[in-house]
Amino acid sequence: MARVTENPDVSQVKQTAAKLIDNIGKVIVGKSESIKLVLVALLCEGHLFIEDVPGIGKTMLAKATASSLDCSFKRIQFTPDLLPSDVTGIYYFNQKTSEFEFRPGPIMANIVLADEINRATPRTQSCLLECMQERQVTVDVTTMPLPRPFLVIATQNPVELEGTFPLPEAQLDRFLLKVRLGYPSEDEEEAILQRFQQENPLDKLTPVVEASELLELQKLCRQVYVEESVRHYIVAIAQATRDHQGIKLGASPRASLSLYLASQSLAALQGRNYVIPDDVKYLVIPVLSHRLVAKVESKLRGQSAESILEEIAFTTPVPVERAT
Amino acid sequence: MKLNWRQGTFYATTIGMEGCWLYALLVLLNNQATDGRLSIFGLLLLYPLAFGLNGLLLWLGWHRVYRDIINVIACGIAILFIIKAQLFSGLALSDTTWLLALPRAIANIFYAFAPELLILVSSAVLWWLGRRLSRIRVSFVNSVSEFQFGLAILLIVFFIAPLLEVQLANSVLITLAFFLSALLGISIAHAQEGTSWLAGLHQGHWAGLLLVSISLILILGLLISSVITPDFLQLILTALKWVWGLIMKAVAFLISLLPEPSPPEPLPSEALPAPTPAEEPDWSKLFILPEAVRSGLRLGWTIMVLGLMLVFLWRVSSQIFGWLRRRLSTAGAEVEPLSGAFRADLLSLLTRLLSRLLGLRRLLHRQRKPELPEITSIRQIYRQLLHWAAGRGLPRAVFQTPNEYLYILEDALPESGEALRSVTQHYVSARYGLSSPSADELHQLKQSWHQVKQNRPKRPHSEAQP
Repeated sequence: MARVTENPDVSQVKQTAAKLIDNIGKVIVGKSESIKLVLVALLCEGHLFIEDVPGIGKTMLAKATASSLDCSFKRIQFTPDLLPSDVTGIYYFNQKTSEFEFRPGPIMANIVLADEINRATPRTQSCLLECMQERQVTVDVTTMPLPRPFLVIATQNPVELEGTFPLPEAQLDRFLLKVRLGYPSEDEEEAILQRFQQENPLDKLTPVVEASELLELQKLCRQVYVEESVRHYIVAIAQATRDHQGIKLGASPRASLSLYLASQSLAALQGRNYVIPDDVKYLVIPVLSHRLVAKVESKLRGQSAESILEEIAFTTPVPVERAT
Repeated sequence: MKLNWRQGTFYATTIGMEGCWLYALLVLLNNQATDGRLSIFGLLLLYPLAFGLNGLLLWLGWHRVYRDIINVIACGIAILFIIKAQLFSGLALSDTTWLLALPRAIANIFYAFAPELLILVSSAVLWWLGRRLSRIRVSFVNSVSEFQFGLAILLIVFFIAPLLEVQLANSVLITLAFFLSALLGISIAHAQEGTSWLAGLHQGHWAGLLLVSISLILILGLLISSVITPDFLQLILTALKWVWGLIMKAVAFLISLLPEPSPPEPLPSEALPAPTPAEEPDWSKLFILPEAVRSGLRLGWTIMVLGLMLVFLWRVSSQIFGWLRRRLSTAGAEVEPLSGAFRADLLSLLTRLLSRLLGLRRLLHRQRKPELPEITSIRQIYRQLLHWAAGRGLPRAVFQTPNEYLYILEDALPESGEALRSVTQHYVSARYGLSSPSADELHQLKQSWHQVKQNRPKRPHSEAQP
């Protein structure tokens, strides 16, 4: 087929994604859809929010992803006594040199795992706001850029709410995707038992993608073509969340931009150099559900943000020809 | 457009319903506006004419722009023909009086409502209804909507006619024909969707069962009519007339708020000296609107009030039917009534109309990017596929993407799966990726489409095989 527009060749993205999926699959059994979403976030350089019950493999998934990339990785266990300086770093006085020196915090890494982020106080949570949005950190009066690629993978347990501090909407809006893993099937659980019987496969995992390669792929994904009507479709969905009667806080322009970028990455992941409405529809719930705030009346009726988004996805017209 | 018997029966019943209320309404308007000069059946002929012409154009697969142009020209010619035939039959064709009659009537619209204007408005509405009918699909929602709207119009006409002292001949026959068409159309549409008992095990005997059910309803109607006496009906009618009187008084009061058309009466000459024309102050002219503007304002106000009443009747009847449907459903779901639903619905309707108008303006100002002819061809083929599938009971829902819709088509046409996949994939590439196929690929695509057209989709609910 001849191409009208100069759409990029994204076969490299698909090949690299296949390598990553295979590698992560050595640790995580099943969960191909969740791994796909993780890769979408990687390709968009967007932050990931994994929320699920304990023992599902949230931290394991984050570690497996980080281990598959030849990037620096740091883990932060969020606790109620964690301070912002424990995350960003601190200037301390070196008595030997009689000067103030900067000790970088664990945030200065390519992949940062923020484990159980809701256990830290809002003060500590808010130190991530600048890091996640602007990819820089300000300590005292000095602003330092963070390394590229920079990705925050945060995990949260939705069950234990005592002694936790729910993330504010401003912070939730900075996460590109929310991923839920869910319980494994019977076969998958048996496979987990067999796989982890002798040793932890995570210990033997080696990187398959370098940081520079990942940056190239991210640039490639940004060139994926998005037709005008698909852009209108994305905006229409975002507008629908703002106009819906059951939603108090709809999707922000950052949310529609995230949906746009994520759709490009998903299309590239599947070997296409253009976005189709199916890509947008697939990503509506993972990208938008954690950003919306449903009204109290909706919650009392048993409607969640996910169910409202499903309703919106099934009522917003898709840009297709009309029957003559 | 391949006409199957279900679609044909649906068309016939819709024509029946619309024909009944159109006839009643036209008789009323004809009597009031033209003293009964016009032939109603002559006007009603436009309806099947528009339906037939648009059906032919759809079958030929002409582009929408060409269809619109032909419709405008044909409607214009039909209107002029009716004016000539009904109002100026004695005049020769070369005499331009009949040609200029319509522009003259439009120019004098604020002063008199000429028969030409009635012909213009009614013809345009009839043509639009006929065109709409050629595109309508068999669905339960469409049938019930037609019934609701027709019922509301008929009730209004039957109510107004005695007030205006207009004799509506054959009103009982019109009502019976309307309800018979409605029952038949709604039953067929409901059975078509496979959700009623007619679509189940008894599907093979649906005709007989349908006739039995209609007969039962008619017998029930006769029994009820024997119970409800004319006196009882008169009482109800009096109550409704009283309510209507109140509404008319309210409307009259609102109209009376507009300033009087004629200037105030001059003071007696003994009280004041007669002002000379040079001394008459100019500022008085500022507060008196011209007669044409007043007439326009009155007309607009009346149209707005009548429109709001129609919308109110429409929404109330649809909510009643919606409530009846929910009560009869087996799901057992309880739906709480919403306060202010009519106001919310009205605001939502006005918002949608406004956004449509704004969307139309944006559409007109949007500059279309030039498209390759191959891409245009693929899009045309896909449009034809959508239209063909919709005509066979497989319409695409607005929220379905081409790939989602492909699953439904493959399920209904398993033997054309490969061809359908090819058409869909090429369409998706062309539409969203602007990928232009080669000449060979385009030729193969057309072959695939022809292959799909040869096959017949299997029915959504296969007949029971005990």
